[in-house]
Formats: sequence, C-alpha cells, structure tokens
Amino acid sequence: MAALLKVPPQSSGVTNGSCKADVVVSDQFPAGLRVLVVDDDVTCLRILEQMLRRCLYHVTTCSQATIALNILREKKGCFDIVLSDVHMPDMDGYKLLEHVGLEMDLPVIMMSADGRTSAVMRGIRHGACDYLIKPIREEELKNIWQHVVRKKWNENKEHEHSGSLEDNDRHKRGGEDAEYASSVNEGAEGILKGQKKRRDSKEEDDGELENEDPSTSKKPRVVWSVELHQQFVSAVNQLGIDKAVPKRILELMNVPGLTRENVASHLQKFRLYLKRLSGVAQQQGGIPNSFCGPVESNVKLGSLGRFDIQALAASGQIPPQTLAALQAELLGRPTSNLVLPAMDQPALLQASLQGPKCIPVEHGVAFGQPLVKCQTNISKHFPPTVVSTEDVPSGFGAWPSNSLGTVGTSGSLGGLSAQNNNILMDMLHQQQQQHQQQQQQQAVIPEPSRSINVQPSCLVVPSRTSASFQAANSPASVNQNCNFNRNAVIDYSLLTPQSNNSSLSVGQISDGDLKNTTVLGGFSAPGSISPSVSSCSVNAGNSTTRPVQNSTVTFATPRQLPGVVSNICDIQGSYGARSGEVLDQGLLRNLGFVGKGTSIPSRFAVDEPESPMSNLNNGKVYGENEGNRVKQEPNLDYMENARVGVPMLPHFTPNDLMSVFSD
Amino acid sequence: MLGLGADRLRADMNRLLALLFHQGVLDEQFLQLQQLQDETSPNFVSEVVNIYFHESEKLLRNLRGLLMDREFSDYKKMGIHLNQFMGSSSSIGAKRVRNVCVAFRAASEQNNRAGCLRALELVEHEYCYLKNKLHELFQLEQQRVLAAGVRYPIQN
Repeated sequence: MAALLKVPPQSSGVTNGSCKADVVVSDQFPAGLRVLVVDDDVTCLRILEQMLRRCLYHVTTCSQATIALNILREKKGCFDIVLSDVHMPDMDGYKLLEHVGLEMDLPVIMMSADGRTSAVMRGIRHGACDYLIKPIREEELKNIWQHVVRKKWNENKEHEHSGSLEDNDRHKRGGEDAEYASSVNEGAEGILKGQKKRRDSKEEDDGELENEDPSTSKKPRVVWSVELHQQFVSAVNQLGIDKAVPKRILELMNVPGLTRENVASHLQKFRLYLKRLSGVAQQQGGIPNSFCGPVESNVKLGSLGRFDIQALAASGQIPPQTLAALQAELLGRPTSNLVLPAMDQPALLQASLQGPKCIPVEHGVAFGQPLVKCQTNISKHFPPTVVSTEDVPSGFGAWPSNSLGTVGTSGSLGGLSAQNNNILMDMLHQQQQQHQQQQQQQAVIPEPSRSINVQPSCLVVPSRTSASFQAANSPASVNQNCNFNRNAVIDYSLLTPQSNNSSLSVGQISDGDLKNTTVLGGFSAPGSISPSVSSCSVNAGNSTTRPVQNSTVTFATPRQLPGVVSNICDIQGSYGARSGEVLDQGLLRNLGFVGKGTSIPSRFAVDEPESPMSNLNNGKVYGENEGNRVKQEPNLDYMENARVGVPMLPHFTPNDLMSVFSD
Repeated sequence: MLGLGADRLRADMNRLLALLFHQGVLDEQFLQLQQLQDETSPNFVSEVVNIYFHESEKLLRNLRGLLMDREFSDYKKMGIHLNQFMGSSSSIGAKRVRNVCVAFRAASEQNNRAGCLRALELVEHEYCYLKNKLHELFQLEQQRVLAAGVRYPIQN
C-alpha cells in the first residue's frame, strides 16, 4: 500500500522541496512551474498532482495547511504558485491565502467543491487569484501559469512606477540594462526578462515613472520588506491605529518612492490582519486558565482587554503585574486596565516567559528584549500580531532554515525558528548590555532573516516557531544561565520544520524555567496542535520545573488548547531537547490523550495513543530536515502508525527526551 | 485464445462503463481519470479510486455518527465533511453520489435533521452502488490484463 501511494520519482514530477527547479523554468516556461498544492482531501490531491505533472509542472503536495506554510517559509523562492482548498481542518484556506499573500506574496488559487456564487465571491474578496470549482479539469490547470506571470509583471511595473527602494538603488547603480535584467532574474522567465529590459531602457533615473506607461500602469505594489513594514507599523502606532490614514503614514514613513496607494493597500491588509487577530484573541478569551499563563497572555496580548488577566493571575501562572505589564507593553497600549508595576521590560518579558516563577529579573530576558523592543520601537508594532496565535503560525514556520543570526540582524519579523534561538541567545547577551532594543525590534522572536514582510512575528510565535524555540529552550534551560547551547539552535531548526507548532520554547532565557517558554514573548500557539504540545516541554532543565503546562497552550490553536496543554504538562519538559522531531513524537503521543473533550482538528483527534502517529504521518510532518521530501505520502491514513519513517522523526520517547535534559 | 478472452473482457468493461455513464453514475470526469493514466502511473485510476473509497468510508461513517447522535447540532462540522465528500466524489466523476450530496447539503444548511438523515441514506445507497460497480470494473480490468498478458507489454 505504501508503494502504491508513493509518487513515482520523476524528474519532472514532485519536487522534494528542493529549489533546483529554477534552472528549468526559463527555457520551457510554463513547464517547470513550481506548484504547491494544499488539500486535505487526499483523493483530490492525488488527482491534481497527476494533472499538474501532466502539464509538466513541478508539483509538491501537502494535505495540511500548516505544513504547507512551513514549506513555503522554509523554501522561500522555491514556489511560483499555490493551489489551496478552501475548507481544511487545521486552517481555513483563506487564512492560508492571507498568510501567503503577506509573507511570500505568491499567487494563490482557491479550490472548492462549493461553486456557489457566494463562495466564489468570498474567494475573490480574500484576494485569491482564481477560484476553481471541483471537479477540476486538466485544462483549467494548464492555464494557471498566467497568474504567475501577471503577478510578476505587475510587480515589475509597480517597482518601476513607484520607484521602490530596490529599484531606486538599481537605477542609481547605473542602470545598465543588462545588469538590471540579469539581476532581476525572477524565476528566470524569459518573458519577464524581456519586459524588464524594455522598461529599463525606457527609464534612466529613479523613481517616478508616472510618465512611463500610464496605460499599463496598475496599482503599484511595493514589496514590503521587513524594514519597510517596521517603519509602517511604527508610523501606524505613532498615529494610533484608529487614526492612521495613509497620507499621514506616508509622511511619517518618509520613504522615497512610496506612494499613498501603496500605503493604503498595505494598511488595508494590515487592518484585516489585526481584525483577525483580535477575533482570534476573542476566541481565546474562553480558554481556561489552566493554560500556561504566559503563553496565554501572549496570545491574548493581541486582543487587549480580552485577556483575562485576573483569571490568569488567579491561576497562578503569571503574576498579575507581569501579565499586565507584558500585555500592555506588547500591545503598546496604556496599561489602563492593568495593574502595571513599573517593571523593567526585560523583566516583564522574562517574567512572563518564566511563567509561574515570574522572576522579575533582568537576566537576559532575551525574550523580553524582543518584546520590549517591539513595544518600544515599533510601538507595539503589531500588537495584535503578537497574539495571533492563528496567524502567527504562518510566520513562524520554517524558521530553522534561516540563518541563525543575531537578533539584531534578523530583522525579520517573527520566526521562531532555530534562528530565533540564536537570536534569543544573542539577545540575552545583548540584553545585558541593553540598548539593543532598536535593532531587536523584530520581535521577540528574532527571526532570522526571514523577511517576512508583514509578519507579526513579534511575539507571537506561531506554532511553528514555538517549536523551534522549544528546542532552543530546552538546552538552554539545562545550561541555566544564559548559555544558550548552540545545540539548542540546531535542535530548534530541526524542530521547526517538523512540528508545525512544536513548542515555542522560546529561546531559553537563561534561567528560570522555561516553562513558559511559550511565553516567549507571546508566541502564540502554533496552528497545529502537535507542535504546540511540544512547546510545553520547555523546561527540561529545571528540576523543579513545574509541569510544562501551559506553555503549549498558546500554541495550540484556540480550539485545541485545553486538552493539549494538560497533556503536555505531564511530560516534563523533556521536550525541548533534541530536535523538533522528538518533540513531535512525544507530543503526538500525548496528543492522543488530548483527543477527548478538546476540539482538535479532526486529523488529530485520536483516541488511541498511537493515532497521533498516524496523524503525524498524515500531516506529513516534515520530520527530518529540510532535505526531506516535501511531498506527502498520500495514503498515510492507511498506515496506521507505521510509517513513521519517512521523514518522520526518529522515535524518541518522552523518556529519551527527558534524559536529555536531566542534568 | 488468450487474445479472445482479453477482447471479450474488454468488451464487457466497455459495456459496463457505458451503462454507468448512461445511468449517470459516472460522468466525463471519470474519463479524465482514465486519460491521466499513463506509463508513469499505470494504475492511476485504481489507485485514486481506492483512495476515494477509503476516505469516503471514513467520511460517511463520520456523517452517520454525527447524525445518529441524539444531541447532534453541529451542522457546520457536518457541512465540512460533506463538502469534502462532495469534492472527492465529483473529482472522480461520481456524478450521482455528488448530486445526492447537493441535496444533503441543502438539508444541512436548513438544519433539517430528518432531511439530512434521509439524504444520508440516499448517499450511502448511491455510494454502495458505485463501489460495487467500480469493483466489478476493476476486476474485469484485472482479468483482461491477465488474459492479454502475453501480448501487452509489461509496464514498470
């Protein structure tokens, strides 16, 4: 059965997530177009895969949205277009669409069996490039390349018209056509090259190209790099989200070449994002307090006011002041409704991170730093983002692949990947020196270079990131004082790819229990349950560690939190250790228990302990490291547990994990 | 001798297919599936159909489980299962199954539990019929391949 499901290895077929497809594209375009298909319906997935292969596209399939996001994040630049189903258990297709649009800016085509006008209208409103109604025919798929080309052309045009920063630079560099064309090798599509060349020759100097081609000019779309987005967010925060109008934002940002329209459209997206976050936060309001406090608070940070601080405080997870302060800080709002002691930000963060212990210490609140930063610099840049548990996941996925930079350098928003670990560690050190805040804006979760454009990575760590953090934490905790193990980082990276949400173990902050590592600055629970579960285990090191508890909570999407968290707590923080894989494993096992009474996505709702594994398989965890095939084995369902193999993780048992941590 | 057997089997298959098309059990999407089968995926149709059966049975069980529950109220969840079932059914060309799913969806959107139950029964009935016929088809195919084994090239 396994063999039956395996995709025949063809060069033109499935891409195992590698990016070597680039070379092919330009010559035989549209052949070699790199497509990512996401659909929980395995039947359709298989059919689409076959059809796309027949169109000579490079196909990667995925049955879970969270994993798909991970893939996209890890392999940035390795895909040209995404096809996604609308109704999926772990994440709404439109949510995925938004994430992809914000972070990777790839064209997304939605698919659904529901072909009613209202449904299609929804798709259009969310910004889908196209909406296909099942059953999908091969002819429809043959044409999807037009969306890729159209998008690229619009971007090019926009760059030139709006004189985006990059373009300006290029122009100033002397704008040789050849140079320009070669440097702009987007996807190596010959058509684009030609077009660019034409454009280059037309305009010689920077910026304003209104004269260029009015008839073809469409609304320019600037690439919102991390820095640019940060500037945007700080401008918005300065003005106040309610009063932020594009014109004023533009003035504040003072970016040459940026037009009011760019800002307006970005603001619109941002607002939607915030709304979503607050909606999410609302949902989470009901989460029991048993969840780890810090995590919870982080999650709720976004939704100011929804956060039941009292409840949390009552639950003893986090000292009220910490929470309040943290929340206030993160949200960048006056802590009117909170009792806020004038705590050090770092302390706050740390405290929150530590959860119950709440040590108002300055010790390298590495996490704190980002958090702090966020709020100060970015003026709470993304207050909502921090929290968005649901949204964050996308941001944090696949961090590991990024280089472990220091916090300061990462500049990318959110991204808890392994890199974060490093970053956290660095932060920790830096923290001691302070004054790093400016650079560390990025977010609590220093995200290595991920250039997520608008990712709220700041604090909220989507499940994915959490995982990485988790890993990071564990080692750290073992070491105690700020000695971040580099290993942690490594583990972290391992961790992230796989477990989507695995533990957020926020970079271990030197001492304390990582327990709430999830606290991390609000890494919100990752989308999927499993990862989040792993996050709980953060504090392996501390002997006294309290049960992980809540940390995971945040990770899990709101719906799943309760059950998961409690289970996780049982696992004494052994998780963090090793690689994310381990975490996943362990977590998944626990997940099994979670099944009852929690609204876990159907995929994860298992009754038996074993099932998590199969779910894991289904979910196509990446297991391993990026080298593994992205492609999911279609019929994992069939094999109940058995195939842990494929990319799956080594079979670590919780005990193994524990042993890692026991000092 | 072998060849004759194979030809006869193929004729039987074609007749069965024609019948199914005529009855509306299958539609041209099924033909698309057949066209997708090639040397690189020689068992594509049976592979996909088997996946479909496996997944559908889970979905149908879920649907029945939901409806049988006396305190059933989660129409949204049912809608999700149903949507997936509709999607996969239409993707393999199971036209009649899909059509009864449409009726099911309508009942579910009106929160009409009795209507949903009736629709579910219809769906199950259509699904069983489809499954039997497709099994029959695949059996004929297998026999045909065996019978024609000597003459047809072996595909890897």
